[in-house]
Amino acid sequence: MKSLLEIPAHTTVKIISVSGGKGSRRILAQLGMGIGSMIKIKRNAPFAGPLLIENHGASVAIGRGVAAKIMVEEI
Amino acid sequence: MKIALIGQPNSGKSTIFNSVAGYKSITSNLPGTTVNYTESRVRLNGDIYDLVDFPGTYSLSSTNEAEAEVSKYLLTAKFDLIINVIDASQLGRSLPLTLELLELKIPVILALNMADEATRKGISIDPEKLARILGVRVQSTVASKNLGIRDLFILVKQVIENGFESHLIHCQRDVEEVILEMEGFIRDKFSEAISHPSRFIAIKLLEDDDYYRSLLIHQNGTALSEKIEELQKKLVELRGKPQDSVMFLERYAMAMDIYQQTVRLGVPRHDWREKLDDLLMHRLGGYFILVLALLAFFYGVFHIGALLEGFLLTGFAGLEGLLSSYIQPGSFTFQLLKSILWGISGGLAIVLPYLVPFLIGLNLLEDIGYLSRVAFLMDALMHKIGLHGTAIIPAVLGYGCNVPAVMATRILPSRRDKIIAAVIASMVPCSARSIVILGLVAFYLGPLWAFAIYLLNIVIVSVSGKVLSLLLPEVTPGMILEIPPYRWPALRVIGHKTWFRIKEFVVVAWPILIAGSILLGLLEYFELDRWINTGLSPLTGLLGLPAVVGTTLIFGVLRKELALVMLTQALGTTEILTVLTQQQILTFTIFITFYIPCVATMAVLSRELNRHIMLSIIFFSLLLACSLAFVVNQLGYLVF
Repeated sequence: MKSLLEIPAHTTVKIISVSGGKGSRRILAQLGMGIGSMIKIKRNAPFAGPLLIENHGASVAIGRGVAAKIMVEEI
Repeated sequence: MKIALIGQPNSGKSTIFNSVAGYKSITSNLPGTTVNYTESRVRLNGDIYDLVDFPGTYSLSSTNEAEAEVSKYLLTAKFDLIINVIDASQLGRSLPLTLELLELKIPVILALNMADEATRKGISIDPEKLARILGVRVQSTVASKNLGIRDLFILVKQVIENGFESHLIHCQRDVEEVILEMEGFIRDKFSEAISHPSRFIAIKLLEDDDYYRSLLIHQNGTALSEKIEELQKKLVELRGKPQDSVMFLERYAMAMDIYQQTVRLGVPRHDWREKLDDLLMHRLGGYFILVLALLAFFYGVFHIGALLEGFLLTGFAGLEGLLSSYIQPGSFTFQLLKSILWGISGGLAIVLPYLVPFLIGLNLLEDIGYLSRVAFLMDALMHKIGLHGTAIIPAVLGYGCNVPAVMATRILPSRRDKIIAAVIASMVPCSARSIVILGLVAFYLGPLWAFAIYLLNIVIVSVSGKVLSLLLPEVTPGMILEIPPYRWPALRVIGHKTWFRIKEFVVVAWPILIAGSILLGLLEYFELDRWINTGLSPLTGLLGLPAVVGTTLIFGVLRKELALVMLTQALGTTEILTVLTQQQILTFTIFITFYIPCVATMAVLSRELNRHIMLSIIFFSLLLACSLAFVVNQLGYLVF
C-alpha cells in the first residue's frame, strides 16, 4: 500500500483508504473516487503541482496534500 | 406545476433551463459557482410550469453550503416533478445522486444530456434498460444544440398527467436491514416531526449528515444518538469501512452495478481536446501560454475599454457643457446636477467600458474550461502563499473589479481560505486602479514604470497572503477540483452570465458612486474641501505631496478612478507635470493603488466575511499604503 503521491503517471490503482476528515472522503467519493474505486493517474510530477487523475473519462485535479492522504494499491 | 432541475456541476442543467426559460440563469464550468437557484415561469406545449434551476450538486448530503441548500429547498417546497440532468459521459458518477432523488418519492425524469460527448468518448447507453431498472422515464438530450428538449417536456407532461411509479433500489440485504431498523425507529419516535420520507431520513442519519441530525436531535436526542451509533457500528462491522462512508460507498456500488448493466464501452475517439491539454497544461509550456493568454486578455480589455471610455467621456463633457449653458455655473443647482452627472458618467463611461469586456472575456475563459486549468497550473505557486490553486480565480477576477472577485471566494471550501483569498482579491489593482496607474504613471513616466507597479503589487500581495496564512494556521482540505472537458461556449449563456454580474455592479456599486459624488459635490460647494485638505496635510506632507491632493484621496475611497479625475480638478490643470514632479506622481499612484478598498468592495467584504475583518483590512491597507508610499518617495530622491 502506497500513498497516491508515490505512484508514477499512467498507472491504474485501486483506492484502499482515505485518511483525514469525512469532508474530503465525501468530496472524493462524489467525484467517483471513493474507497474501492479504480483510478488512473494521468500526471504526477514530483514537486510540481497537483496530480491529475482520470476516472470514467473525467479529469480531477488533486492537490499534493490531499493525494498524500489517499492510500492505494497498484493493479 | 412546479418542476426542479437537478444535476451535478457541469451537467448542462442551466443550459437546459436557459433554452426554455430565456433569461435569468447562469451556467458555469466551475463547480460551485451557481450558488443561487433561479426560477422561471415557462409556457411549453400549451402548459405553464414553474421551473427551478438548482445549483449543481453531487449529492443530497450537506457536504457544503450549496448542497445543504439544495436538499433543504427540495424537501420543503412541494415539487411535482424532478428533472435529473445527467452528463451522459459521466453516467456512473451521476447515478448516486439519481438513487438519492428516487428516495424522495417525487416523480423523476432522467435527461441524459451531452449525448454527443458520450458518443465521442465511446460510451453507448441503453436508455430503455436504464428506464426499466430505475422505473423512470429517460430522454437523451444535447442541450447546447437544443436537441431533445421538446421531447423532454412532452415526457414531463405525460408523467405529470398519468403519474409514474419509480422503483426504490434496495441495498444488499445486510445493509438494507440496518436501514429498515433506523427507519422503524424514527417512525416510532418522530412520526410527527418528520414530513420527509422516513427512509430517506434514515439513510441520511446513518451517513452522519449534520443537517438531518439537527432536525431531530432537539427531541429525544440521547435515544436517537444512541440508536445512530449502534447502527453505524453495525455497518462498520458489516463492511469494514469508515462509518461516515459506508452508506456513500454502498450507493456508489449500486450505481456502478447499474452502470455496468446499461453501458457498453467502445473505443473513445481521440481528438484535439486531449492534445490541447498536453499543451495548455504542460509543465513549462502551460505557464508560457498562461502568461501570453493573460497579457492578450488584459491588453484586449484595456484597448476596448479605453476606446469606449474616450468616446463616452467626450459625450458626457458635452452634456456638462450643455448644463452650464442652461444653469449658472457655480450655483447650488449646477453643483448638484453636475455631481449627479459625474456619478452617472463614472459608472457608465469609466467603469462599464472596462467591466463589460472584462466579464465577457472572463466568462468565455471560464465556460471554455480554461479557468480550471489555470487553477491547476497555479496550485504549486499558490501553495507558497498558503492557499491552493482554486484561490487564483478570485485573484484573477480582482483585476477587473474587486466586488465580483470577493463574491467569487464562495467557491472555496474553508472559511480560512475564503478570508485570505478575499483579502488578496481586494488588494489586486482593479480596472479602476489600473486607470490611475495607466493614466498617471504610464502616461507621465512610461509604461515600464507602470509595469513595475504591477510587479510590486504581486510581490506585496504574495507576502500578505503568506503572512495571513501564518497567522491563520489551519489545515485546509487542499484542492480537489474537477477539470471539465473543453466545450464551445454557448453565446446566449455567456450573455446571461455577463448581464447577471453587471447587474450586481449596477445595483450594489453604482448607487454608492452617485451618492458619493453628490456628497463630494456638496463639500466642494460649501468649501469644506479646504478643511479636509488641512486635516490630511500631515499625511500628504509625510508623503511629500502638495496639500491640495488631500480631497482626491477621499474621492478615491468612493471610486478609485475618481482620484485621477479629481486630481486634475484639485490641481486646476490637466498638465499634471507642471504641478507635480514625477516622484510625486509615483508616490501618489502607489498610495492610491494600495490604500483602502473602495466603498463597494468594503460593503461586499463586510457581507461575505464580516464587519470586523472588513475594518481590519481597511486599517492594514492604510498602514501598508502609507509605508510603501513613504519608502517610494524617499527612494525617489535618489532616482529622480
